[in-house]
Amino acid sequence: MTNKSDKLNSVVSLTVNNQMITAPPGNTVVQALWHCGKARIKGIGCIEGVCGSCRVLVRRHASSSVTTELACQTTIEENMQVIFPPLSRPIPHQYQLTEITNERDLYAQFKQIFPEAQHCRHCGGCNISCPKDIDVEQGVRFATDGNFKEAGALFFTCVMCDLCSDACPELIAPNYVGLFSRRVYTCLHMKPANLLQRIDQLNRDEMDVVLPKNTGTIKDQ
Amino acid sequence: MQNGTPYNTALKYYSTDIHRPLVKADFSKAELLQNYHPDYDEHSMAILQSGSNRGDRCHKQLASILQASERAQENDFRNANIIETDVLVIGGGGAGCAAALTATGAGAHVLLATKLRLGDSNTIMAEGGIQASIEKNDTPQMHFDDTFKAGHQQGDTALIKQLVLDGPDVIQWLIQQGMQFDTDNAGNLLTRRAGSTSADRVVYYRDYTGLEMMRTLRESVLNSNIMLREYNPTIKLLSNKQGQCIGAVLHCLSNKTYTVVKANATIIATGGIGRMHLNGFPTSNHLGATGDGLALAYHLGAKLRDLDSFQYHPTGLAFPENLAGTLITEGIRSAGAQLLNADGKRFINELEPRDIVAAAIIRECVEGRGIFVSKKSRGVWLDTPTLEQKKPGILNSQFPKLVELGKKSGINPHHSPLLVYPTLHYQNGGIIIDKNGQTTVQGLYCAGEASGGIHGKNRIMGNALLEIISFGRRAGLHAAKQQAKKNKDPDQCHSILRNTGRSQNQQVARQYSPLLFPEYTGFNSSVKKND
Repeated sequence: MTNKSDKLNSVVSLTVNNQMITAPPGNTVVQALWHCGKARIKGIGCIEGVCGSCRVLVRRHASSSVTTELACQTTIEENMQVIFPPLSRPIPHQYQLTEITNERDLYAQFKQIFPEAQHCRHCGGCNISCPKDIDVEQGVRFATDGNFKEAGALFFTCVMCDLCSDACPELIAPNYVGLFSRRVYTCLHMKPANLLQRIDQLNRDEMDVVLPKNTGTIKDQ
Repeated sequence: MQNGTPYNTALKYYSTDIHRPLVKADFSKAELLQNYHPDYDEHSMAILQSGSNRGDRCHKQLASILQASERAQENDFRNANIIETDVLVIGGGGAGCAAALTATGAGAHVLLATKLRLGDSNTIMAEGGIQASIEKNDTPQMHFDDTFKAGHQQGDTALIKQLVLDGPDVIQWLIQQGMQFDTDNAGNLLTRRAGSTSADRVVYYRDYTGLEMMRTLRESVLNSNIMLREYNPTIKLLSNKQGQCIGAVLHCLSNKTYTVVKANATIIATGGIGRMHLNGFPTSNHLGATGDGLALAYHLGAKLRDLDSFQYHPTGLAFPENLAGTLITEGIRSAGAQLLNADGKRFINELEPRDIVAAAIIRECVEGRGIFVSKKSRGVWLDTPTLEQKKPGILNSQFPKLVELGKKSGINPHHSPLLVYPTLHYQNGGIIIDKNGQTTVQGLYCAGEASGGIHGKNRIMGNALLEIISFGRRAGLHAAKQQAKKNKDPDQCHSILRNTGRSQNQQVARQYSPLLFPEYTGFNSSVKKND
């Protein structure tokens, strides 16, 4: 048995959605919830910081500012306050890549699909909210200037947590602008010679695969 | 069991060295696997007592969910809403999205139901890349040979052939969806080499290949006519009197209601099993990887294979402990990073197949040459500083996710090696399929990690991402062409497990199947309390 004072010293107290919990130091917010039996089913995905499901608002001890982070990537601290905001999905901006076929019409199509992007107030809310420190506002500006390559490149670490969309007062859906830019640029420009040559060889049946002999394949019964 | 060298001591003695020789092995690969790979530990295995694979060797923990009582009781969904669709896709990762997009493209009405959010999956975490033989010195035949050999010649040759022939077209399809890949100045796709393969064949997008793939496919699905049900795990597959699959029962996690989906074809794309923490291993898998698809299909009578074969990825992070199990891509070893024991010596060719490298790491630790942190945590060094010394700038340019992981761990991989230990990564086997993704049950399809046969007993890097798209599309296309079933009445009496004799130990521990969430989420205990 460990004695009581040891036990008290080796835990961190914090609140999650206004409920007090305690967990061992070094735990992430997600692990702390598992530890104290208050696990969440929704809003947790990969637990590696790439799926963007577990976004949280965090206020640290004696701090007046609130930061936006990913719960699986946030180590708990004494007196930390954590809130899981409700999951949301921004107003959809529907488009079909197959209908975007050339660079000439791209800009006009972009304005049609994302009309709000022109209204950016440069309030910086998207940048503050991004847990991946992406310069979201600059990305939107690149896109509205027609520089889709540059816009897309800025979003390469985007995990689609939608926090910037939630933060935007003009409903721009900046992360979707970023993804649109990436996809469109890829579709219009990516034509790798080594890939296309191989596909051509395959289409002309120049590359067959011979199966090994005398090896038992497990057959369906 | 010896403990090994304490972390701080080992770190003090560590230094970079760009000419480190490989110590000649004093053991055969077969011995290594036999003695140190978890799959070969007979204590963790059981023989299935009921169902289509009765008599087969199966991991104990997996056997417990395959032979458990079904979570869904008939009373639960007797008055449930009924939805009719052409194709039901279960699972919102890469395989599910590829299947759904292809089926809808072929004109079918598609419903995609997923337990978590669309895209919360193992796909999104894949780092290394995706295999496709596109280089001049490479051929689909070489891809086939590498895959078959790495799987210990246990793979289904017809499936592997299909996989490797699909490779280049899969990449093209992904580009059409708007997925980026790293290219050289001339626009050619860059390739890197997977462990134990004969050519540079893995195309990639930095170490974010899965993220780039998943956000692209997710956006494609959101921009399509596919009907989406998030947070709706499937708890039962339905069959008619003829034994054909006619759909499934969904359980909404938000309002706890049930929906019966009647479909001409049902595609299982539920992924793997890492969150069952087989043999107590940490895992690189996402929260929902609990082997649901295997349990669902088994209860309907589908035949499975290789239920005793799992992949322990050699390089899971072992320190700090709160991040244990986090994956470090094989791409880093492919780029030249080496593995060192506490004495600073190499003990295995880092590009051997994953099962061999994992067994070699376990051997070092068991025999006291590892680095010791605590009872739960030990490992060997992944020598990133020497790699950076050899190829300055490579970590930042090619492995941003690793650098980020370093920041979070408080360990700078430019200057300090990372402690690694195998992490439960992948289910090699699964539901038996043919090259159209059809299972042994009519009307039931499967694609991706939930299926078995392609990887035999061991998978190589980059074949999982290829498989999910190749067979996701195949299953989606074939499923879209399924004729409407004449009989869509669920047959309540039909239970394969009952017919073949349920084992007595079922009554001892009451377990529900599918598991849906890992034990530590408390999900299953809260359900039981409500019973």
